[in-house]
Amino acid sequence: MDSRAKTFDKLFWFVTAILFVIGIIGVSNRLINGHRATNYGSYIPWGLWIASYIWLIGLSAGAFLMSTMTYVFKVKSVQSVGKLALLLAIATLAGAMLSVWFDLGHMWRAWRLILHTHLTSMMGWMAVLYGSYIVLLVIELFIAIKMDLVNSTDTKKTLKTVLTILGSIGIPLAFAFHGGVGGVFAAISSRAYWHSPLTPVYFLAGAFLSGGALFAFIAAIYAPNKQSPEFIEMMSFIGKVVLGFLVLDTIFEISEIYVGLFTATPDETPVLMAILSGHYWYAFWIVHVLFGIVIPAYLLIAKPRSVTAIAVAGLLIAITFLAVRLNIVIPGLILPEINGLSHAFVNSRLTYHYIPSAMEWEVELFIVSIAMAIFMIGKAVLPILSNGNLPKEEAVKIKKQMAEA
Amino acid sequence: MGSDLKKNPQKKLFETEESRREFLGKFTSSVFGGLAAAGVLGEVKSAHAEAEGSNLNEAVPYRKFNLPEEKSFEDFTMRMMRDLQRALEKPIEKRKWVMVIDLRKCIGCDSCTISCVAENKLPPGVVYRPVIQEERGKYPNVGRKFLPRPCMQCDKPPCVPVCPVEATWKRPDGIVVIDYDQCIGCRYCITACPYSARTFDFGSLYVDGAADNTTEMVGKKKAEKYEIEPSFEYSKEWKRKDDDSPIGNARKCHFCIPRIERGMLPECVVTCLGRATFFGDANDPGSLVAELKSKPNAVRLKEFVGTQPSVYYLL
Repeated sequence: MDSRAKTFDKLFWFVTAILFVIGIIGVSNRLINGHRATNYGSYIPWGLWIASYIWLIGLSAGAFLMSTMTYVFKVKSVQSVGKLALLLAIATLAGAMLSVWFDLGHMWRAWRLILHTHLTSMMGWMAVLYGSYIVLLVIELFIAIKMDLVNSTDTKKTLKTVLTILGSIGIPLAFAFHGGVGGVFAAISSRAYWHSPLTPVYFLAGAFLSGGALFAFIAAIYAPNKQSPEFIEMMSFIGKVVLGFLVLDTIFEISEIYVGLFTATPDETPVLMAILSGHYWYAFWIVHVLFGIVIPAYLLIAKPRSVTAIAVAGLLIAITFLAVRLNIVIPGLILPEINGLSHAFVNSRLTYHYIPSAMEWEVELFIVSIAMAIFMIGKAVLPILSNGNLPKEEAVKIKKQMAEA
Repeated sequence: MGSDLKKNPQKKLFETEESRREFLGKFTSSVFGGLAAAGVLGEVKSAHAEAEGSNLNEAVPYRKFNLPEEKSFEDFTMRMMRDLQRALEKPIEKRKWVMVIDLRKCIGCDSCTISCVAENKLPPGVVYRPVIQEERGKYPNVGRKFLPRPCMQCDKPPCVPVCPVEATWKRPDGIVVIDYDQCIGCRYCITACPYSARTFDFGSLYVDGAADNTTEMVGKKKAEKYEIEPSFEYSKEWKRKDDDSPIGNARKCHFCIPRIERGMLPECVVTCLGRATFFGDANDPGSLVAELKSKPNAVRLKEFVGTQPSVYYLL
């Protein structure tokens, strides 16, 4: 590992440790007191953890699709970072599962999602699709590692084919499960803001963007051979991909807001107005638009060959995307189904205001720390970056052998 | 508690004194049970044992109860009791429970809300039947309207297909039930209900944070005793301890299944001060609700969303 990767390794471990320590306070609270210290209620039944779940699962889907560039589309410039993308997909997936697990009223009944799946429910389908995705990711990473370790060219070739097949299965699977997450919301016809055929597609665009962006950041730090021109080439390619997704996602977002604002019905317009100019306007304008769109777009357009610019843009997009997810989940629930409900029976759980409690944030930090720890441990234990560390002569030799075969 | 309305007809309701006692022991509310009959607690236990293996789709076996002889003119509560008896004589799939609420008679007293809380031992934040109030107009033309909102027991319930673990479904008699033992608490059904009829049990108590006093009759522990009395929803005993179900579950109105299957009208019906709430079997052409729901002024809430509610409002 080069010095940059080593510095960041230390920094990441430090951050992971801090988040974990703060997080464990919230987790103990969650495990001992259940949902009592949360701030969501029955009228806004979903909060930070559900937003965190769709944020992390989006990062996972996006990172996975970046890995298919290596294994399915065989893009030359990103050959060395396929395993890194897979590991990132696994770590963020674990975080996503943890988020939704903490959110369940009965955590220890989560197994029912697998054994008593109700397939008329989008959420039921999630259990099936995530189950398959986890299996696929682990097998794919295992084979990808094995492929780099074996010496026989024949085996290598076979494994490569297997990887291509697995990756090809993974693409529709990733579309299905992340589109499906959008479907979880889109299927709720009583919430006008969610109930749109664009929602699943918009979720997908967001996943490509946020996952790709996070991958850009990670690749900038951990990709091997940073001095080589291939590295700059790779980063600028990833930068372009991220910029493309940023444009696509923004188009969808504008479409969503535009149509909703001009619908002029009381179902959707007030929700959008709340996002644009309500109490938490800064989550949209400052966090999302400024730090998630404008600054990254400037960096990606103005400095397309600067690794630092691409990495910073990637990190900004990936982190601020939590605000996008929060702005999907919470505002969708802020309009009373029947006017006057919150005054009919007064209780702190029966209101239309929500801001996550300290405990919810602590658990969120714990979730992020676990995802980071899985990534860091995976990277330390598994030969994720090994092929890149091969001496150049050997790499050339392998390439030659492959070509001959 | 509306115990007068509840108790008087019951005196003749059951054939033997013993069954009446057993009945009271099983299903009166905690406060009433606590005050009235320590002696029936043993019977509560046996009822629990009986209910353990119960299937939510099966009605409690019908036991004939005696109603006073029919008079030429009767109060409509008696008529509803007779409707109920006729319905209970039929198998469960032939019944279709329906509620009719006359908004002209609702006085916005919240008795139904509170009696429901008492009947089902609802914790803070869980409510099955709030009464939504709206003030209209400006002085001197001011009017208030009240809208009690139980679960609509929709014929096309949006909350049912979204459940990822099949923990909620529509019974043959039209009641949408939740199997607390299966519910994982994901709250998807809560978001799906267009009437916000489902609420989540966070496990709180009204006495949370109250001061305690070990020597007197008052204080947190003494009061808590009544709050953690079990509820008997779905004819099962649900204890409030160790964060077990129904804590951590979605909860909603179930038309008081344990009451109606033992010949009693739902708690909100018998405690309604304005006498605005009616209940019965819509499949029985002779029932009061079948008559009322066919009136031209009968409407259903948010008809346009296509849920086909079983609750009708008379305007």
